Amino acid sequence: MQVVIVEDNVLLSAGLELILDTRGIEVAACVGDAPTFLAAVEEHRPDAAIVDVRLPPTFRDEGIKAALQARRNRPELPVLVLSQYVEQDYARELLSDGRGGVGYLLKDRVSRVGEFVDALERVAAGATVMDPEVVAQLLSRRDDLVGSLTPREREVLALMAEGHDNSTIRSRLVVSDNAVHKHIGNIFAKLGLGQHDSGHRRVLAVLAYLGSGRTGG
Amino acid sequence: MTDAVLRTAPRVLGGARYLLITLPAAMVTLFAPPLLLAATMTITFAGAGFVVLPAALGVLRSWAEWHRRRGSRLLDVPFEPRPLPVTGEGPRWRRYLRDRGVRRDLRWIFVAIGTGLPTGLLALYVVGDVLFTCIATPLWWVFPEAEPLRLLLVVPVTSWAAALLAPVQVLLVGALGWWALPRLSRWHARTCLAVLAPSPEDEMARRVDVLTRSRADAVDAHGAELRRIERDLHDGTQARLVAIAMRLGVARESLTADPETAAMLLKQAHEGTEEAMTELRAVIRTIYPPILADRGLLGALTALTTRAGVPVRLETDDLGRLPAAVEAAAYFVVSEAVTNATKHSGATNVLVRLGKRDASLAITVTDDGMGGVDESKGTGLVGLRGRVAALDGTTDVSSPAGGPTVISVELPCRS
Repeated sequence: MQVVIVEDNVLLSAGLELILDTRGIEVAACVGDAPTFLAAVEEHRPDAAIVDVRLPPTFRDEGIKAALQARRNRPELPVLVLSQYVEQDYARELLSDGRGGVGYLLKDRVSRVGEFVDALERVAAGATVMDPEVVAQLLSRRDDLVGSLTPREREVLALMAEGHDNSTIRSRLVVSDNAVHKHIGNIFAKLGLGQHDSGHRRVLAVLAYLGSGRTGG
Repeated sequence: MTDAVLRTAPRVLGGARYLLITLPAAMVTLFAPPLLLAATMTITFAGAGFVVLPAALGVLRSWAEWHRRRGSRLLDVPFEPRPLPVTGEGPRWRRYLRDRGVRRDLRWIFVAIGTGLPTGLLALYVVGDVLFTCIATPLWWVFPEAEPLRLLLVVPVTSWAAALLAPVQVLLVGALGWWALPRLSRWHARTCLAVLAPSPEDEMARRVDVLTRSRADAVDAHGAELRRIERDLHDGTQARLVAIAMRLGVARESLTADPETAAMLLKQAHEGTEEAMTELRAVIRTIYPPILADRGLLGALTALTTRAGVPVRLETDDLGRLPAAVEAAAYFVVSEAVTNATKHSGATNVLVRLGKRDASLAITVTDDGMGGVDESKGTGLVGLRGRVAALDGTTDVSSPAGGPTVISVELPCRS
């Protein structure tokens, strides 16, 4: 796999390169600002892009804008956005085009190398990956919506929202395949959401549901 | 005609009243120069004057201020007090004597006497003569024959026919008063205010004083904020980093001898770094929420309100540029108040309003919940109050049982 990284902090970009290198992922280009990044994506046609939110010149949300622009230029480009903090609004904007291949993670997650590379690979494969922190924020604010769920169902809902597929949910919670199916069925029934297959559509549906002020899906 | 008379009547009566009070006031003021002179003389008595003189000047200032207040009221202009320089460098008597306002007070004494006595006497004459004529004329026969009542200064009233001149006198004197009293009273008030009014230099000095004070307050608030951040970083993040470094140090030493322990310590250190990062993120959020840096106050509040659990309406005026500390506090206030409304009050609608009011930012958060907020029960309002107080702002919570709950905050933001 080949990736392009845009990260203005040299310490962090060197760390990322080190981690990806040990896992056999090729870094085609590592750049420090949005315009160079867009050019690098055109030049290298990477399998995925890793984007930092704060970039020069203003160090605000240039990374989000650059990620959206890169996906407008190349709609199939998977993008994994990394940030020192998560903001639901950014997650919403990244997901707004409704296509998969989007990830939004805290930079902290990079240190769990296995999980980070796994997330990158899932994004590259077209899945949607959300940081547990985003999901936790959504869940904590929506007691009204998820109050009817059992604790176990909440855990399953959170893992779904983070973009995990059924087999990962099963192994994370150490339960049987059947149990996972039953929990998911219950969740969708209780929340009044239409069933979705396990792809990014399910993530979008769950996130949209948690992010909305309405009940029902 | 009647309309015009009725319209001017309040001004005439107001003017007459003003001047009738001015007359005794001016007579009292006559005593000011000798009294002040006496106060100065007491300096020779063991320096008692250094105490007596400032006291006397203080009384003079109050007396002059009373005149200014009356004048402002008559002219319907705003009254701004001129406080004496009570605090400052050097002994009080020297500060007072250097004060431009005190010198103006001293000049005003003579103006007050010079203008107050004649105008006051004229008012007394007009009012007195009208009243006297009205009362005395029907009683003309009481006056002794040698000293009869005289109307129009010369006509002696010795018969009821002559007494018919009284209305003429009343009308003449009344007309004089009607024309003169409002004008004279206003002229007197204007003169007093002009003599006592602070010059542009004084005004500038006063403004500098106010700004210096508010700046000192801001520096204090800033200091308190820095101490809080220092504490958070010192007790939290720094302590965690030390713990991580210790574990890594031991792990390095035991890497070959005891790889199992080393692995466990590495795992703990790794978890420690994650905790430190989470904590650091929380501290950063309290210093200056990153979304605020990214999107500004309006963008940050929009993001905040759209993700709340209940519908929140956000109304803001044009807020212009606000100091970063005020923006951060405003964001914190709205965040806490909205969380409070959605978590505890059972509200179905929340209204957030932000507006500039003079030199402060006014924030009100209203919810239609059940009210009865108990601040002692960890509702986050304690933190909110502290944050607002650190910026010298005010917090007002109104939450009657049954609702609605209104949280009003004012944050000073002189820029």
